[in-house]
Amino acid sequence: MSLTVALSKGKLLAGSEALFRKAGLPFPGKEGRRLVVALDGLRFLFVKDMDVPTYVEHGVADVGVAGRDVLLESDCDVYQPLDLGFGRCRLVVARQKGSGADLSRASTLRVATKYPRVTAAHFLEQGVSVEVVKLAGSVEIAPGLGLADCIVDVVETGRTLEENGLEAVAEVASSSARLIVNRASYHARRGEVSGLLEALRKAAP
Amino acid sequence: MSGATHGLVQVPPGVQCFVGDEARRRRVIEERVISVFEGWDYQEIIPPLYDYADVFAGGDLAPKTYSFVGRDGSLLALRPDFTSLLAKIAAGRLSGRPAPIRLYYSGEVLRYEPPQAGRQSELFQMGLEHLGGASRAADAEVLAVAAECLETLGASGWVLALGHVGVFNGLLEGSGIEGSRLATLRERVEGKDPAGVREVLAQGGASAQVREAVVRLTGLAGDVSVLGEADRAFAFSASARGAVAELYEVVEALRGAGLADRLVLDLGEVRGLDYYTGLVFRVYAPGLGFEVGGGGRYDALLARFGRPMPAVGFMLGLDRVALLLERQGAAVPEAPAPEVVGGGGLGAALLRARERRAAGARVRFGDGEGA
Repeated sequence: MSLTVALSKGKLLAGSEALFRKAGLPFPGKEGRRLVVALDGLRFLFVKDMDVPTYVEHGVADVGVAGRDVLLESDCDVYQPLDLGFGRCRLVVARQKGSGADLSRASTLRVATKYPRVTAAHFLEQGVSVEVVKLAGSVEIAPGLGLADCIVDVVETGRTLEENGLEAVAEVASSSARLIVNRASYHARRGEVSGLLEALRKAAP
Repeated sequence: MSGATHGLVQVPPGVQCFVGDEARRRRVIEERVISVFEGWDYQEIIPPLYDYADVFAGGDLAPKTYSFVGRDGSLLALRPDFTSLLAKIAAGRLSGRPAPIRLYYSGEVLRYEPPQAGRQSELFQMGLEHLGGASRAADAEVLAVAAECLETLGASGWVLALGHVGVFNGLLEGSGIEGSRLATLRERVEGKDPAGVREVLAQGGASAQVREAVVRLTGLAGDVSVLGEADRAFAFSASARGAVAELYEVVEALRGAGLADRLVLDLGEVRGLDYYTGLVFRVYAPGLGFEVGGGGRYDALLARFGRPMPAVGFMLGLDRVALLLERQGAAVPEAPAPEVVGGGGLGAALLRARERRAAGARVRFGDGEGA
Protein backbone atom coordinates (compact mmCIF):
# COMPACT_ATOMS: atom_id res chain seq x y z
CA MET A 1 0.00 0.00 0.00
CA SER A 2 1.51 3.32 -1.04
CA LEU A 3 1.37 6.52 0.96
CA THR A 4 -1.31 9.01 -0.01
CA VAL A 5 -0.40 12.70 -0.20
CA ALA A 6 -3.10 15.42 -0.06
CA LEU A 7 -2.15 18.64 -1.83
CA SER A 8 -3.89 21.93 -2.35
CA LYS A 9 -4.90 22.84 -5.89
CA GLY A 10 -4.45 26.47 -4.88
CA LYS A 11 -1.60 28.77 -4.07
CA LEU A 12 0.63 26.14 -2.40
CA LEU A 13 0.72 23.85 -5.45
CA ALA A 14 3.76 25.39 -7.19
CA GLY A 15 5.79 25.44 -3.97
CA SER A 16 4.84 21.83 -3.19
CA GLU A 17 5.88 20.72 -6.66
CA ALA A 18 9.23 22.52 -6.43
CA LEU A 19 9.97 21.00 -3.03
CA PHE A 20 8.96 17.45 -3.99
CA ARG A 21 11.14 17.64 -7.11
CA LYS A 22 14.07 19.05 -5.16
CA ALA A 23 13.69 16.19 -2.65
CA GLY A 24 13.81 13.69 -5.51
CA LEU A 25 10.21 12.60 -4.87
CA PRO A 26 7.71 11.90 -7.63
CA PHE A 27 5.20 14.61 -8.52
CA PRO A 28 2.48 14.38 -11.17
CA GLY A 29 2.86 16.53 -14.30
CA LYS A 30 0.24 19.06 -15.31
CA GLU A 31 -1.68 16.64 -17.51
CA GLY A 32 -5.45 16.82 -17.33
CA ARG A 33 -7.75 17.42 -14.42
CA ARG A 34 -7.50 14.14 -12.61
CA LEU A 35 -7.82 14.66 -8.87
CA VAL A 36 -6.37 11.31 -7.82
CA VAL A 37 -3.06 10.35 -9.40
CA ALA A 38 -0.84 7.34 -8.59
CA LEU A 39 2.81 7.81 -9.45
CA ASP A 40 5.97 5.88 -8.55
CA GLY A 41 4.77 4.52 -5.22
CA LEU A 42 2.85 7.59 -4.07
CA ARG A 43 -0.79 8.50 -4.52
CA PHE A 44 -1.69 12.17 -4.83
CA LEU A 45 -5.02 13.80 -4.03
CA PHE A 46 -5.64 17.33 -5.31
CA VAL A 47 -8.23 19.06 -3.15
CA LYS A 48 -9.28 22.52 -1.92
CA ASP A 49 -6.72 24.02 0.44
CA MET A 50 -9.20 24.19 3.33
CA ASP A 51 -9.89 20.45 2.87
CA VAL A 52 -6.29 19.20 3.05
CA PRO A 53 -6.27 18.94 6.90
CA THR A 54 -9.62 17.10 6.82
CA TYR A 55 -8.35 14.41 4.43
CA VAL A 56 -5.26 13.93 6.59
CA GLU A 57 -7.12 13.97 9.92
CA HIS A 58 -9.41 11.18 8.74
CA GLY A 59 -6.50 9.16 7.42
CA VAL A 60 -7.78 9.21 3.83
CA ALA A 61 -4.41 10.81 3.13
CA ASP A 62 -1.34 9.90 5.21
CA VAL A 63 0.41 13.22 4.70
CA GLY A 64 -0.43 16.59 3.21
CA VAL A 65 0.80 20.11 2.61
CA ALA A 66 -1.28 22.84 4.25
CA GLY A 67 -0.77 26.47 5.21
CA ARG A 68 -0.64 27.22 8.91
CA ASP A 69 -3.51 29.69 8.36
CA VAL A 70 -5.65 26.81 7.14
CA LEU A 71 -4.51 24.56 9.99
CA LEU A 72 -5.45 27.16 12.58
CA GLU A 73 -8.88 27.60 11.02
CA SER A 74 -9.64 23.90 10.52
CA ASP A 75 -8.56 22.91 14.05
CA CYS A 76 -7.89 19.39 12.75
CA ASP A 77 -6.06 16.93 14.96
CA VAL A 78 -2.96 16.23 12.84
CA TYR A 79 0.79 16.26 13.41
CA GLN A 80 2.72 19.10 11.76
CA PRO A 81 6.38 18.12 12.11
CA LEU A 82 7.90 20.23 9.34
CA ASP A 83 7.82 23.90 8.36
CA LEU A 84 8.34 23.71 4.59
CA GLY A 85 9.41 27.33 4.38
CA PHE A 86 7.34 28.43 1.37
CA GLY A 87 3.93 30.07 1.12
CA ARG A 88 4.86 32.63 3.77
CA CYS A 89 2.10 35.08 4.58
CA ARG A 90 0.50 36.85 7.51
CA LEU A 91 -3.05 36.69 8.78
CA VAL A 92 -3.94 40.29 9.62
CA VAL A 93 -6.76 42.55 10.72
CA ALA A 94 -7.23 45.24 8.07
CA ARG A 95 -9.53 48.22 7.77
CA GLN A 96 -10.15 51.12 5.41
CA LYS A 97 -7.17 53.41 5.14
CA GLY A 98 -7.60 56.76 6.83
CA SER A 99 -10.99 55.86 8.28
CA GLY A 100 -9.56 56.95 11.62
CA ALA A 101 -12.39 55.12 13.39
CA ASP A 102 -11.35 53.54 16.66
CA LEU A 103 -12.16 49.86 16.25
CA SER A 104 -12.17 49.32 19.99
CA ARG A 105 -15.06 51.76 20.41
CA ALA A 106 -17.61 49.61 18.66
CA SER A 107 -19.62 47.56 21.15
CA THR A 108 -19.64 44.69 18.66
CA LEU A 109 -17.14 44.60 15.84
CA ARG A 110 -18.35 43.22 12.52
CA VAL A 111 -15.52 41.34 10.85
CA ALA A 112 -15.65 39.80 7.37
CA THR A 113 -13.36 36.82 6.81
CA LYS A 114 -12.74 33.40 5.31
CA TYR A 115 -11.38 32.41 8.75
CA PRO A 116 -14.35 32.62 11.16
CA ARG A 117 -12.88 30.40 13.88
CA VAL A 118 -9.52 32.15 14.08
CA THR A 119 -11.20 35.55 13.84
CA ALA A 120 -13.68 34.91 16.65
CA ALA A 121 -10.93 33.49 18.90
CA HIS A 122 -8.60 36.44 18.19
CA PHE A 123 -11.09 39.14 19.16
CA LEU A 124 -12.73 37.29 22.04
CA GLU A 125 -9.30 36.71 23.62
CA GLN A 126 -8.81 40.46 23.61
CA GLY A 127 -12.19 41.01 25.23
CA VAL A 128 -13.82 42.40 22.08
CA SER A 129 -17.31 41.21 21.16
CA VAL A 130 -17.40 40.24 17.54
CA GLU A 131 -19.91 39.40 14.84
CA VAL A 132 -18.20 37.32 12.18
CA VAL A 133 -19.43 37.67 8.60
CA LYS A 134 -18.24 34.56 6.79
CA LEU A 135 -17.31 35.06 3.14
CA ALA A 136 -15.81 32.66 0.61
CA GLY A 137 -13.61 35.23 -1.13
CA SER A 138 -13.12 38.89 -2.20
CA VAL A 139 -13.12 39.77 1.47
CA GLU A 140 -11.26 43.04 0.78
CA ILE A 141 -14.34 44.80 -0.57
CA ALA A 142 -16.46 44.19 2.56
CA PRO A 143 -15.46 47.28 4.61
CA GLY A 144 -15.89 49.69 1.68
CA LEU A 145 -19.39 48.41 1.02
CA GLY A 146 -20.41 48.59 4.67
CA LEU A 147 -20.69 44.84 5.14
CA ALA A 148 -18.11 44.88 7.94
CA ASP A 149 -16.02 47.26 10.06
CA CYS A 150 -12.83 45.40 9.19
CA ILE A 151 -11.56 42.12 7.79
CA VAL A 152 -9.25 39.31 8.80
CA ASP A 153 -7.40 37.89 5.81
CA VAL A 154 -4.03 36.64 4.59
CA VAL A 155 -1.56 39.07 3.04
CA GLU A 156 1.65 38.21 1.24
CA THR A 157 2.85 41.50 -0.23
CA GLY A 158 0.01 43.73 0.91
CA ARG A 159 -0.76 44.78 -2.67
CA THR A 160 -4.34 43.53 -2.66
CA LEU A 161 -5.04 45.45 0.53
CA GLU A 162 -3.44 48.55 -0.98
CA GLU A 163 -5.46 48.31 -4.20
CA ASN A 164 -8.68 48.06 -2.23
CA GLY A 165 -7.88 50.99 0.03
CA LEU A 166 -7.19 48.90 3.14
CA GLU A 167 -4.36 48.88 5.68
CA ALA A 168 -3.26 46.17 8.10
CA VAL A 169 -3.67 47.24 11.73
CA ALA A 170 -2.76 44.05 13.63
CA GLU A 171 -1.26 40.64 13.02
CA VAL A 172 -3.28 37.59 14.04
CA ALA A 173 -0.74 34.93 13.04
CA SER A 174 2.08 34.28 10.64
CA SER A 175 1.84 31.39 8.27
CA SER A 176 3.85 29.16 5.96
CA ALA A 177 3.34 25.76 4.38
CA ARG A 178 3.54 22.82 6.78
CA LEU A 179 3.91 19.13 6.16
CA ILE A 180 1.09 17.49 8.06
CA VAL A 181 0.86 13.81 8.97
CA ASN A 182 -2.04 11.65 10.05
CA ARG A 183 -1.59 10.46 13.65
CA ALA A 184 -2.16 6.77 12.96
CA SER A 185 0.03 6.78 9.82
CA TYR A 186 2.81 8.49 11.76
CA HIS A 187 2.99 5.58 14.21
CA ALA A 188 1.62 2.58 12.34
CA ARG A 189 3.38 3.33 9.02
CA ARG A 190 6.44 4.81 10.62
CA GLY A 191 9.02 3.54 8.09
CA GLU A 192 7.37 4.98 4.98
CA VAL A 193 6.31 8.23 6.66
CA SER A 194 9.74 8.98 8.10
CA GLY A 195 11.36 8.26 4.71
CA LEU A 196 9.17 10.93 3.11
CA LEU A 197 9.62 13.26 6.07
CA GLU A 198 13.42 13.04 5.96
CA ALA A 199 13.56 13.60 2.17
CA LEU A 200 11.45 16.74 2.55
CA ARG A 201 13.36 17.90 5.63
CA LYS A 202 16.61 17.84 3.65
CA ALA A 203 15.05 19.71 0.73
CA ALA A 204 13.24 22.37 2.80
CA PRO A 205 15.16 25.61 3.34
CA MET B 1 -36.84 21.34 9.64
CA SER B 2 -37.30 23.08 12.98
CA GLY B 3 -39.69 22.81 15.88
CA ALA B 4 -42.70 20.56 15.59
CA THR B 5 -42.66 20.48 11.80
CA HIS B 6 -40.07 17.73 11.46
CA GLY B 7 -41.35 14.32 10.52
CA LEU B 8 -41.58 11.68 13.20
CA VAL B 9 -38.95 9.56 11.46
CA GLN B 10 -36.32 12.32 11.52
CA VAL B 11 -33.18 11.37 13.45
CA PRO B 12 -31.61 13.86 15.88
CA PRO B 13 -27.93 14.58 15.17
CA GLY B 14 -25.41 12.45 17.06
CA VAL B 15 -27.31 9.17 17.44
CA GLN B 16 -27.03 5.93 15.48
CA CYS B 17 -29.06 2.80 15.01
CA PHE B 18 -27.62 -0.59 14.07
CA VAL B 19 -29.69 -3.25 12.36
CA GLY B 20 -29.12 -6.93 11.61
CA ASP B 21 -25.63 -7.79 10.40
CA GLU B 22 -24.22 -4.50 11.56
CA ALA B 23 -25.55 -5.04 15.08
CA ARG B 24 -24.35 -8.64 15.07
CA ARG B 25 -20.82 -7.63 14.06
CA ARG B 26 -20.71 -5.23 16.98
CA ARG B 27 -21.96 -7.93 19.33
CA VAL B 28 -19.27 -10.34 18.08
CA ILE B 29 -16.58 -7.70 18.66
CA GLU B 30 -17.91 -6.99 22.14
CA GLU B 31 -17.97 -10.69 23.03
CA ARG B 32 -14.39 -11.19 21.83
CA VAL B 33 -13.10 -8.26 23.84
CA ILE B 34 -15.02 -9.32 26.94
CA SER B 35 -13.62 -12.85 26.64
CA VAL B 36 -10.12 -11.36 26.86
CA PHE B 37 -11.05 -9.20 29.87
CA GLU B 38 -12.55 -12.24 31.61
CA GLY B 39 -9.52 -14.32 30.65
CA TRP B 40 -7.28 -11.94 32.63
CA ASP B 41 -9.64 -12.25 35.61
CA TYR B 42 -11.28 -8.84 35.40
CA GLN B 43 -14.79 -8.66 36.83
CA GLU B 44 -17.64 -7.03 35.00
CA ILE B 45 -19.27 -3.98 36.46
CA ILE B 46 -22.50 -2.53 35.14
CA PRO B 47 -22.60 0.98 36.54
CA PRO B 48 -25.61 3.30 36.39
CA LEU B 49 -26.34 5.38 33.31
CA TYR B 50 -26.45 8.57 35.36
CA ASP B 51 -25.05 9.78 38.63
CA TYR B 52 -24.54 13.04 40.54
CA ALA B 53 -22.90 15.54 38.20
CA ASP B 54 -20.01 16.25 40.55
CA VAL B 55 -18.73 12.69 40.05
CA PHE B 56 -17.80 13.71 36.51
CA ALA B 57 -16.76 17.31 37.25
CA GLY B 58 -13.24 18.55 36.81
CA GLY B 59 -12.12 16.56 33.78
CA ASP B 60 -11.80 17.47 30.11
CA LEU B 61 -15.24 16.02 29.60
CA ALA B 62 -17.08 18.38 31.96
CA PRO B 63 -18.13 20.76 29.14
CA LYS B 64 -19.41 17.80 27.11
CA THR B 65 -21.51 16.29 29.88
CA TYR B 66 -25.30 16.15 29.58
CA SER B 67 -26.59 17.23 32.96
CA PHE B 68 -30.10 17.61 34.27
CA VAL B 69 -31.90 18.43 37.48
CA GLY B 70 -33.46 15.53 39.40
CA ARG B 71 -36.89 15.73 41.05
CA ASP B 72 -35.24 16.49 44.38
CA GLY B 73 -33.29 19.40 42.88
CA SER B 74 -29.93 17.64 42.72
CA LEU B 75 -27.77 18.05 39.63
CA LEU B 76 -27.38 14.77 37.78
CA ALA B 77 -25.42 13.83 34.67
CA LEU B 78 -25.45 11.08 32.05
CA ARG B 79 -22.12 9.26 32.24
CA PRO B 80 -19.61 10.84 29.78
CA ASP B 81 -17.03 8.16 30.66
CA PHE B 82 -16.73 5.10 32.87
CA THR B 83 -13.50 5.73 34.72
CA SER B 84 -14.69 8.31 37.25
CA LEU B 85 -17.81 6.24 37.88
CA LEU B 86 -15.72 3.12 38.54
CA ALA B 87 -13.36 5.08 40.79
CA LYS B 88 -16.35 6.25 42.81
CA ILE B 89 -17.71 2.70 43.13
CA ALA B 90 -14.28 1.30 44.08
CA ALA B 91 -13.98 3.93 46.82
CA GLY B 92 -17.57 3.57 48.01
CA ARG B 93 -19.51 0.37 47.47
CA LEU B 94 -16.31 -1.70 47.12
CA SER B 95 -14.38 0.09 49.88
CA GLY B 96 -14.03 -3.13 51.86
CA ARG B 97 -12.54 -5.04 48.97
CA PRO B 98 -8.75 -5.33 49.11
CA ALA B 99 -6.61 -3.96 46.28
CA PRO B 100 -5.86 -4.69 43.54
CA ILE B 101 -9.36 -4.52 42.11
CA ARG B 102 -9.73 -5.49 38.46
CA LEU B 103 -12.93 -4.27 36.79
CA TYR B 104 -14.19 -4.10 33.22
CA TYR B 105 -17.18 -2.46 31.57
CA SER B 106 -18.87 -2.41 28.20
CA GLY B 107 -21.52 0.13 27.37
CA GLU B 108 -22.50 3.54 26.10
CA VAL B 109 -21.31 6.92 27.25
CA LEU B 110 -23.01 10.16 26.25
CA ARG B 111 -21.25 13.36 25.32
CA TYR B 112 -22.58 16.59 24.01
CA GLU B 113 -21.11 17.30 20.55
CA PRO B 114 -22.04 20.48 18.71
CA PRO B 115 -24.50 19.54 15.93
CA GLN B 116 -22.35 20.96 13.11
CA ALA B 117 -19.42 18.73 14.12
CA GLY B 118 -21.27 15.67 12.83
CA ARG B 119 -19.81 13.50 15.58
CA GLN B 120 -21.65 10.89 17.54
CA SER B 121 -22.98 11.83 20.97
CA GLU B 122 -23.43 8.23 21.97
CA LEU B 123 -20.22 6.20 22.08
CA PHE B 124 -19.86 2.55 22.98
CA GLN B 125 -16.78 1.83 25.06
CA MET B 126 -15.22 -1.41 26.24
CA GLY B 127 -12.56 -0.97 28.86
CA LEU B 128 -10.99 -1.97 32.12
CA GLU B 129 -9.46 -0.44 35.23
CA HIS B 130 -6.73 -1.95 37.36
CA LEU B 131 -7.04 -0.25 40.75
CA GLY B 132 -4.55 -0.28 43.59
CA GLY B 133 -1.95 -2.62 42.13
CA ALA B 134 1.84 -2.43 41.99
CA SER B 135 2.45 0.20 39.37
CA ARG B 136 4.89 -1.22 36.83
CA ALA B 137 3.38 -4.70 36.89
CA ALA B 138 -0.10 -3.24 36.45
CA ASP B 139 1.06 -1.03 33.54
CA ALA B 140 2.57 -4.04 31.81
CA GLU B 141 -0.50 -6.18 32.48
CA VAL B 142 -2.92 -3.63 31.05
CA LEU B 143 -0.80 -3.23 27.92
CA ALA B 144 -0.66 -7.02 27.50
CA VAL B 145 -4.45 -7.23 27.80
CA ALA B 146 -4.82 -4.44 25.22
CA ALA B 147 -2.49 -6.33 22.88
CA GLU B 148 -4.46 -9.55 23.30
CA CYS B 149 -7.71 -7.74 22.49
CA LEU B 150 -6.27 -6.57 19.16
CA GLU B 151 -4.93 -10.06 18.44
CA THR B 152 -8.26 -11.68 19.28
CA LEU B 153 -10.11 -9.21 17.08
CA GLY B 154 -7.91 -10.15 14.14
CA ALA B 155 -6.72 -6.60 13.45
CA SER B 156 -3.44 -6.25 11.56
CA GLY B 157 -0.57 -3.77 11.66
CA TRP B 158 -1.64 -2.28 15.00
CA VAL B 159 0.83 -0.66 17.38
CA LEU B 160 0.75 0.53 20.97
CA ALA B 161 2.21 4.05 21.09
CA LEU B 162 3.60 4.63 24.58
CA GLY B 163 4.41 7.89 26.31
CA HIS B 164 4.70 9.22 29.84
CA VAL B 165 3.29 12.54 31.00
CA GLY B 166 6.19 12.89 33.44
CA VAL B 167 8.54 13.70 30.58
CA PHE B 168 6.79 16.91 29.50
CA ASN B 169 5.88 17.84 33.09
CA GLY B 170 9.45 17.19 34.24
CA LEU B 171 10.96 19.38 31.53
CA LEU B 172 8.63 22.28 32.29
CA GLU B 173 8.97 21.98 36.09
CA GLY B 174 10.02 25.31 37.56
CA SER B 175 10.26 26.93 34.11
CA GLY B 176 7.73 29.59 35.06
CA ILE B 177 5.55 28.70 32.06
CA GLU B 178 2.02 28.10 33.25
CA GLY B 179 -1.66 28.75 32.67
CA SER B 180 -2.85 29.36 29.14
CA ARG B 181 0.71 29.51 27.79
CA LEU B 182 1.43 26.06 29.17
CA ALA B 183 -1.82 24.84 27.60
CA THR B 184 -0.82 26.27 24.21
CA LEU B 185 2.64 24.75 24.52
CA ARG B 186 1.16 21.37 25.34
CA GLU B 187 -1.14 21.61 22.32
CA ARG B 188 1.86 22.34 20.07
CA VAL B 189 3.87 19.43 21.53
CA GLU B 190 0.83 17.24 21.00
CA GLY B 191 0.77 18.37 17.35
CA LYS B 192 4.50 17.54 16.98
CA ASP B 193 4.89 21.12 15.80
CA PRO B 194 8.47 22.28 16.49
CA ALA B 195 7.91 25.66 14.79
CA GLY B 196 4.85 26.25 16.98
CA VAL B 197 6.76 25.24 20.14
CA ARG B 198 9.55 27.70 19.27
CA GLU B 199 6.98 30.43 18.76
CA VAL B 200 5.50 29.93 22.24
CA LEU B 201 8.89 29.64 23.96
CA ALA B 202 10.30 32.69 22.12
CA GLN B 203 8.09 34.81 24.37
CA GLY B 204 10.59 34.13 27.13
CA GLY B 205 10.41 32.32 30.44
CA ALA B 206 12.17 29.04 29.77
CA SER B 207 15.94 28.59 29.69
CA ALA B 208 17.68 27.75 26.42
CA GLN B 209 18.14 24.21 27.73
CA VAL B 210 14.41 23.75 28.36
CA ARG B 211 13.54 25.35 25.01
CA GLU B 212 15.74 22.94 23.09
CA ALA B 213 14.47 19.98 25.12
CA VAL B 214 10.80 20.75 24.41
CA VAL B 215 11.49 21.26 20.70
CA ARG B 216 13.30 17.92 20.75
CA LEU B 217 10.30 16.30 22.42
CA THR B 218 8.17 16.89 19.29
CA GLY B 219 10.41 14.49 17.36
CA LEU B 220 11.00 11.83 20.00
CA ALA B 221 8.86 9.08 18.54
CA GLY B 222 9.82 5.73 17.08
CA ASP B 223 11.47 2.56 18.31
CA VAL B 224 12.98 1.91 21.74
CA SER B 225 16.17 3.85 20.87
CA VAL B 226 14.06 6.99 21.49
CA LEU B 227 14.32 6.28 25.23
CA GLY B 228 18.14 6.28 25.20
CA GLU B 229 18.08 9.49 23.20
CA ALA B 230 15.67 11.09 25.67
CA ASP B 231 17.77 9.96 28.64
CA ARG B 232 20.83 11.75 27.20
CA ALA B 233 18.97 14.84 25.96
CA PHE B 234 17.11 15.44 29.23
CA ALA B 235 20.07 14.87 31.55
CA PHE B 236 19.33 18.14 33.35
CA SER B 237 15.89 17.05 34.56
CA ALA B 238 15.81 14.28 37.15
CA SER B 239 12.03 13.93 36.93
CA ALA B 240 11.97 13.72 33.12
CA ARG B 241 14.67 11.07 33.28
CA GLY B 242 12.77 9.25 36.00
CA ALA B 243 9.73 9.10 33.72
CA VAL B 244 11.87 7.78 30.86
CA ALA B 245 13.31 5.10 33.18
CA GLU B 246 9.80 4.05 34.25
CA LEU B 247 8.77 3.75 30.64
CA TYR B 248 11.89 1.74 29.88
CA GLU B 249 10.99 -0.78 32.56
CA VAL B 250 7.52 -1.32 31.07
CA VAL B 251 8.91 -1.53 27.53
CA GLU B 252 11.47 -4.13 28.63
CA ALA B 253 8.72 -6.24 30.22
CA LEU B 254 6.64 -6.15 27.05
CA ARG B 255 9.63 -6.93 24.87
CA GLY B 256 10.26 -9.91 27.11
CA ALA B 257 6.66 -10.95 26.50
CA GLY B 258 7.12 -11.05 22.74
CA LEU B 259 5.47 -7.72 21.97
CA ALA B 260 8.58 -5.89 20.70
CA ASP B 261 7.14 -5.47 17.18
CA ARG B 262 3.97 -3.89 18.50
CA LEU B 263 5.56 -1.12 20.54
CA VAL B 264 6.38 2.38 19.42
CA LEU B 265 7.46 5.22 21.69
CA ASP B 266 5.82 8.62 21.53
CA LEU B 267 7.22 10.95 24.16
CA GLY B 268 5.30 13.87 22.67
CA GLU B 269 1.98 12.25 23.62
CA VAL B 270 0.74 14.71 26.24
CA ARG B 271 -3.03 14.58 25.88
CA GLY B 272 -5.20 14.40 28.97
CA LEU B 273 -2.43 15.73 31.16
CA ASP B 274 -4.79 16.95 33.88
CA TYR B 275 -5.88 13.43 34.44
CA TYR B 276 -3.02 11.08 33.66
CA THR B 277 -0.04 10.87 36.00
CA GLY B 278 2.29 8.35 34.36
CA LEU B 279 2.23 5.98 31.41
CA VAL B 280 -0.11 6.97 28.56
CA PHE B 281 -0.74 4.96 25.43
CA ARG B 282 -2.81 4.86 22.29
CA VAL B 283 -3.63 2.06 19.89
CA TYR B 284 -3.16 2.90 16.21
CA ALA B 285 -3.65 0.73 13.16
CA PRO B 286 -3.34 1.34 9.43
CA GLY B 287 -6.73 1.92 7.82
CA LEU B 288 -8.14 4.10 10.57
CA GLY B 289 -6.91 7.68 10.81
CA PHE B 290 -7.41 8.02 14.55
CA GLU B 291 -6.67 5.84 17.56
CA VAL B 292 -8.75 2.72 18.13
CA GLY B 293 -8.42 3.20 21.87
CA GLY B 294 -5.99 4.10 24.58
CA GLY B 295 -5.37 4.50 28.24
CA GLY B 296 -2.92 5.33 30.94
CA ARG B 297 -2.10 5.71 34.59
CA TYR B 298 -4.18 8.06 36.76
CA ASP B 299 -2.87 7.85 40.32
CA ALA B 300 -4.63 10.98 41.60
CA LEU B 301 -8.26 10.25 40.70
CA LEU B 302 -9.16 7.79 43.47
CA ALA B 303 -8.11 10.27 46.16
CA ARG B 304 -10.96 12.54 44.99
CA PHE B 305 -13.35 9.85 46.20
CA GLY B 306 -11.54 9.25 49.49
CA ARG B 307 -9.64 6.06 48.72
CA PRO B 308 -6.23 7.14 47.44
CA MET B 309 -4.61 4.41 45.39
CA PRO B 310 -2.76 4.10 42.09
CA ALA B 311 -4.74 3.08 39.02
CA VAL B 312 -4.31 2.32 35.36
CA GLY B 313 -6.87 1.58 32.68
CA PHE B 314 -7.61 1.39 29.01
CA MET B 315 -10.53 1.53 26.65
CA LEU B 316 -11.43 0.52 23.08
CA GLY B 317 -14.12 2.36 21.12
CA LEU B 318 -16.54 -0.15 19.61
CA ASP B 319 -17.38 2.10 16.65
CA ARG B 320 -13.72 2.50 15.85
CA VAL B 321 -12.92 -1.19 16.19
CA ALA B 322 -15.86 -2.03 13.89
CA LEU B 323 -14.72 0.52 11.31
CA LEU B 324 -11.12 -0.68 11.48
CA LEU B 325 -12.04 -4.34 10.99
CA GLU B 326 -14.32 -3.41 8.11
CA ARG B 327 -11.58 -1.37 6.41
CA GLN B 328 -8.99 -4.07 6.98
CA GLY B 329 -11.38 -6.71 5.63
CA ALA B 330 -11.08 -8.76 8.82
CA ALA B 331 -13.73 -11.47 8.77
CA VAL B 332 -16.51 -11.55 11.32
CA PRO B 333 -18.50 -14.80 10.98
CA GLU B 334 -21.77 -14.47 9.10
CA ALA B 335 -25.04 -15.65 10.58
CA PRO B 336 -25.88 -19.17 9.31
CA ALA B 337 -28.76 -19.48 6.82
CA PRO B 338 -32.02 -20.46 8.60
CA GLU B 339 -34.00 -23.67 8.07
CA VAL B 340 -37.56 -22.86 7.11
CA VAL B 341 -39.97 -24.99 9.17
CA GLY B 342 -43.74 -24.88 8.64
CA GLY B 343 -46.81 -26.41 7.06
CA GLY B 344 -48.95 -29.44 7.92
CA GLY B 345 -50.88 -28.06 10.87
CA LEU B 346 -49.74 -25.31 13.19
CA GLY B 347 -49.17 -27.47 16.26
CA ALA B 348 -47.18 -30.11 14.39
CA ALA B 349 -45.13 -27.44 12.62
CA LEU B 350 -44.36 -25.70 15.89
CA LEU B 351 -43.29 -29.01 17.42
CA ARG B 352 -40.88 -29.65 14.53
CA ALA B 353 -39.51 -26.13 14.91
CA ARG B 354 -38.96 -26.69 18.63
CA GLU B 355 -37.17 -29.96 17.92
CA ARG B 356 -34.89 -28.30 15.35
CA ARG B 357 -34.21 -25.51 17.84
CA ALA B 358 -33.31 -28.05 20.50
CA ALA B 359 -30.86 -29.52 17.98
CA GLY B 360 -29.30 -26.06 17.67
CA ALA B 361 -30.58 -25.07 14.22
CA ARG B 362 -31.41 -21.49 13.25
CA VAL B 363 -35.10 -21.77 12.44
CA ARG B 364 -37.36 -19.47 10.50
CA PHE B 365 -40.89 -20.43 11.39
CA GLY B 366 -43.53 -20.04 8.68
CA ASP B 367 -46.05 -21.72 6.51
CA GLY B 368 -43.76 -21.71 3.50
CA GLU B 369 -45.69 -18.90 1.83
CA GLY B 370 -44.23 -15.50 2.45
CA ALA B 371 -42.21 -16.94 5.30
